[in-house]
Amino acid sequence: MVKKFTIAAITMTFLIVSIGVSMAGEKGNARKGKYLFRKTCRTCHLEGGSAKELSPVSKTQAEWQKVFDNIDQLNCKDEWAKLSEKDNLDIYEHLYGHAFDSPSPAKCK
Amino acid sequence: MSATKTKMMSRRKFLQLSGVLAATTAVTNPCRVLYALTKDAGEKSAAEIREIFSACDMCFNKCGLIAQVENNVVKKLDPNPKSLKSRGMLCARGNAGVKQLYDPDRLKYPLLRKGARGDGKWQRLSWDDALNHAAEQLDRIGKEYTRCGFLFMAGTDMQSTFVHQFAEAYGSYNVISHESNCLLSRNRAFLDTFGVMPTPDVLNCKYVIMPGANRFEALVTPDSMDLMTAKGNKSKLIVLDPRFTKTAALADEWYPIKPGTDMAFFLAVAHVIIKEELYDKAFIKDKTFGFEELREHVKQYTPQWAAKETDIPSKDILRIARELAAAAPAAMIYPGRRSSDYEDSTQIRRSYAIVNALLGNWDQKGGLQVPKKVKPGSLHIEAPFYEDNPDDRVDAGRAQMMFDEEGSFKHTRDAVIEGKPYPIKGWMTYKTNPMQTGANRNKTIEMINTLDFMMTVDIAMSDTAWMADLVLPAPSYLERQDPLSAFLASSTCSGVITRDPVVPAMFESKPVFWIVKELAKRLDLGEFFNFTMDDFRKAQLKKIPEVAKALKEDGVYNITGPSFGIHKGKPFKTRSKRIEFYNTRYKDKGIDPMPVYKQPKTIPENHFRIVVGRNAYVTQSASTNNSLLWELEKENTLWIHPTPANALGIKNAETVSVSSSAGKVTIKARVTKETRPDTVYMDTGFGVLSKNLTNIFGKGACIAEILEDKADKISGNMAMHETFVMVAKT
Amino acid sequence: MTQRKKYVIIVDAAKCIDCKACMVACKVENNVPEGFWRNWINVLGGENGSLRTEFQPSQCMQCDDPSCVAACPVQATYKQDDGLVVIDPEKCIGCGNCVTACPYKARYRNPVKKIADKCDFCEDRLKQGKEPACVVTCPTKTRIFGDLNDPDSRVAQMVKKEKLVRIAAPHINTRPNIYYFEGTRLLDWAVTPMLPGNINMPKEFWKSESSVKEG
Repeated sequence: MVKKFTIAAITMTFLIVSIGVSMAGEKGNARKGKYLFRKTCRTCHLEGGSAKELSPVSKTQAEWQKVFDNIDQLNCKDEWAKLSEKDNLDIYEHLYGHAFDSPSPAKCK
Repeated sequence: MSATKTKMMSRRKFLQLSGVLAATTAVTNPCRVLYALTKDAGEKSAAEIREIFSACDMCFNKCGLIAQVENNVVKKLDPNPKSLKSRGMLCARGNAGVKQLYDPDRLKYPLLRKGARGDGKWQRLSWDDALNHAAEQLDRIGKEYTRCGFLFMAGTDMQSTFVHQFAEAYGSYNVISHESNCLLSRNRAFLDTFGVMPTPDVLNCKYVIMPGANRFEALVTPDSMDLMTAKGNKSKLIVLDPRFTKTAALADEWYPIKPGTDMAFFLAVAHVIIKEELYDKAFIKDKTFGFEELREHVKQYTPQWAAKETDIPSKDILRIARELAAAAPAAMIYPGRRSSDYEDSTQIRRSYAIVNALLGNWDQKGGLQVPKKVKPGSLHIEAPFYEDNPDDRVDAGRAQMMFDEEGSFKHTRDAVIEGKPYPIKGWMTYKTNPMQTGANRNKTIEMINTLDFMMTVDIAMSDTAWMADLVLPAPSYLERQDPLSAFLASSTCSGVITRDPVVPAMFESKPVFWIVKELAKRLDLGEFFNFTMDDFRKAQLKKIPEVAKALKEDGVYNITGPSFGIHKGKPFKTRSKRIEFYNTRYKDKGIDPMPVYKQPKTIPENHFRIVVGRNAYVTQSASTNNSLLWELEKENTLWIHPTPANALGIKNAETVSVSSSAGKVTIKARVTKETRPDTVYMDTGFGVLSKNLTNIFGKGACIAEILEDKADKISGNMAMHETFVMVAKT
Repeated sequence: MTQRKKYVIIVDAAKCIDCKACMVACKVENNVPEGFWRNWINVLGGENGSLRTEFQPSQCMQCDDPSCVAACPVQATYKQDDGLVVIDPEKCIGCGNCVTACPYKARYRNPVKKIADKCDFCEDRLKQGKEPACVVTCPTKTRIFGDLNDPDSRVAQMVKKEKLVRIAAPHINTRPNIYYFEGTRLLDWAVTPMLPGNINMPKEFWKSESSVKEG
């Protein structure tokens, strides 16, 4: 039991670290990220949906950074696990890049 | 209908017809039958006047109006007294709207170019053929050059959102607006200081410094009217402008500031306010970031130093700074609108924003405000993703902090001409006229000549339409049904306006909403446009149902209530969550975190700087050919001061040549003391190539022909005041 | 018990920004042909090197002793009970006498209708309960319109409260009904009119003040 937990913890840490590393190196495609966000996340994160309504301007850049640094703590972490690293990066680029206090806050109509 | 039958229209039949017009929408436009205007005895027919609401489109202000319609003919456009934003007025252009509707030069049916671009030879074609042709081009170019190989440019219009939606469904990132020829550097600066672009409460302000802006000619509602009202309430107006405009004429003080030195003036004002501690200490401590850095930074910018830069006496700079601070918080540096002037225009506006912040006028009566906004809903489309698309816009990376959604016309044009980072081969324009508004007309022509296909949707044969391959006729605003549009306007708060047809669309004109729908169908993108205008409006009204009633009864919806004191305790949308004197994001990107003054380039000998501006009757390029407005100004003239004019042997009304590295024009001179000796000026919208603008063809000069196309480094906004011209007798 | 109206306009020229909204509004409302205007803006300055410093709107003054009415050979133009000086299109023979008889150059001969024409304070709009087009459309509300004989009207109160002047022509006083706030500097632009030799004007008509104050 403890062993399983430890492995899981290590895997999680590795996942987080690798995401962190790849975010530091590569840059995501924000436009792909917009498409992915709408396709995967917005199905729930919509007004009247099963989760809180979200768009890039829902959070500051610092807040989005925190979200992406702690994906394993999200309610929808299983959905996140289904996405590839690139997808993850792209979505990050879209949300972080158009956050509340970003240079180009999203004008979601 | 025969002549005899039209005379006596029975009231029942009339109401039937008007019932049809006022049909199905949730936001029905009332056709009020006012009364019967009976003529003298002997005249048998009785004409009934219907009053129909709409919103003016002769500029971007969207003033509410009431059209007087007699027998389905618009006779007059009156102001809507309930339109708070316009203070119930309609300016010369608003009144002249009848001649945009009934313009003999209007486009009537789709046209396809015959012969070379710019030859002006056209063949008429059916809408079906026109749309099929356009769809073929969109498809072909999308396949050969990816969807990003097609550029879209939509102007400031209530239907532009559909062009953007089409571009999104089609899959092109290359969408630009007119705004990068106008105000993006201003928006950049205020966003990077306050986290938002606030609106100025001119009405309640007691001390207004207006650099440029020229509000009594370049009308912005309600600011222009409120400025006069405020004057009546003992408000003081200081105008800084190289030209003696009508605003300068009516100001308390006018300084013919040396062009390009606004920043020096405002840094010196900041210097005085900080040195003499004329600021609200609690406000600075609680709400701002970087004050100590600012204090240190402006130490060097004394009034004596600024006087040498600006040609404004240091004692006046000192006095004005003190008067300004004494009137705070009901004091402001008017942010202005068009900021397309210098290569550091963002930083120049940062200096305006910084002084405003020092005055503590944020969220105050008479200061910079962000009133409560109406948020209409929308119909979201889930656009597909085209895997073969490039990663980014074609103009990306050329400006330091470009607005992603607005882009940069100058950088896009350069990219298209270069073919880098990837080719653009198609262009669609809607309700925008870059041939007149984009500096350096020859470059626009060069850009167009690299394209495979260009299509333009417009009301008249503007110069941009003249250069296109396919020209599609749009209805004027008086013939259109538009979505709801929310606006923001300082002390009048915000509101919603919309349009319903005042008269049916004339000739074969079709609204761009219909055009993109038809194109979408032909490109298998119909699913993204399977809604009507009514559906769209319903979605917009979902969150704001109270708006429908006001629109129906008053023609406009206004939020009332205080426009200030509503942001207490809220964080700012900036990194520091405060008002930023010092911008750390700028620092990270290698941009000066506080504005650093750079001297404007010295004007070479025998040259002048040319500046851009407006007057209150011919403004946008669409207004110059309007018969009513044209009567007021039949051609533009070059303003030149008597001293250099005499030296050049130029007399008033003589034709002169004006040349720069971009081009050369001829124009009549207006010798006047109303401009600095080193500065010349001409109105926009003349010197057209289009022979179908019959009032003005062959008259005046096109300023875009001679303006060089520099750009603001930070935002990519066009910089139009960096051009030096030579003027000579012809 | 209908009291006679006396329609007047009060102009605060300091508010005028010369945007020409009133000129275009009037032109559309009244089908004024190209090249002619029923109203206009006088400009102080802008010539001989002086800077433009005041914009002063004007139009027909609906005078109380109108020289144009006296100059008409067929009584086609006359002053109504409401103070408006109007033209009967059926009677006017287009001779042009009235045009030259006006010290304010407010009249013109309409080349399309071939009769005289001028501002009538938008009489058609007044019948609909609306104010003249120029008054309503103005961004800065430079003109104030009303019935001077109505003591509750804004104009009646302003005439009591404010220092107002009128533009008088050299040597004559047609008793104009457009009032200007005292600060206006353009006071001498009216001209000596050409009156036909056979008309009779009242004795008071012949005066030589250059401006008349209303106390």
